[in-house]
Amino acid sequence: MTTSTAFNRHGENSFVATFAQTEREVLVNLTEQLIEILAERVDDAFRDPLAAMVGITGHDSPPDDEVLLRLLPNAYADPIESAEFRRYTESGLREKKRAHAMAVRSHLLNETSEEISLDHDSAQAWLGAINDIRLALGVRLKVEENSHEQLELLAPDDPMRGVYAVYTWLGWLQESLILSLMDDIGD
Amino acid sequence: MTKIDEEVEDLTTPHFFLDRPWITIVWDDPVNLMSYVTYVLMTLFGYSKERAHELMLQIHNEGKAVVSSGRREEMERDVQRLHEKGLWATLQRDDQ
Repeated sequence: MTTSTAFNRHGENSFVATFAQTEREVLVNLTEQLIEILAERVDDAFRDPLAAMVGITGHDSPPDDEVLLRLLPNAYADPIESAEFRRYTESGLREKKRAHAMAVRSHLLNETSEEISLDHDSAQAWLGAINDIRLALGVRLKVEENSHEQLELLAPDDPMRGVYAVYTWLGWLQESLILSLMDDIGD
Repeated sequence: MTKIDEEVEDLTTPHFFLDRPWITIVWDDPVNLMSYVTYVLMTLFGYSKERAHELMLQIHNEGKAVVSSGRREEMERDVQRLHEKGLWATLQRDDQ
């Protein structure tokens, strides 16, 4: 079995991590789920093609799904102002988040070696996608109500135990990428 | 500053009201890493590491922090950029 390593900075503009095959598969699978969930409301989009072209959609109500609501949150406390903002911005936000997830997915699928090497720009897409996946998993794990101690003690046969393991792993991976990137900016 | 008589001032008060700046607030959430919040504030707003760290701690300890202020359109853009990064942000008129 391959030992995976967290992201490390290699030179000026290269951030490198190694992934075990199973980790790679898990991450590809999660990006695919993210791409799918972010596409959900495309079908009932506003019919006016010109409006759609400039990113105006018919959606102005907040998403029913808790995960989507966390990924596409309200911009105002006031529901009317929030709806107006959403109508003009939600589809653009969905597309950006999907693009991040798609970039990570194709990177993982196209890289044949164990090593994943990112430049500064692709690192931004990775950070965004990993963070969105963690936000989604966090909603499912109810991290708001459950403490880390409670989540650590999930029964071995609890399906959430595996979800929590992935959530923790992604946090570790993301942290390593952030710290490598922070070197860039210095103090 | 130009002195204006009271009658005119009354008429213009609503405009002063509208001219109050808008603010962008980032709210605490249990998922985003502290290092990530700091990094996002540095890269989106150009804050120094120290300032971004301070704001992140304020978000963490007090539940929220004002991260930018200005015209409404600018704050809408900031909120959009923060949502893109997955931070939980809203905008509102500054009520201080």
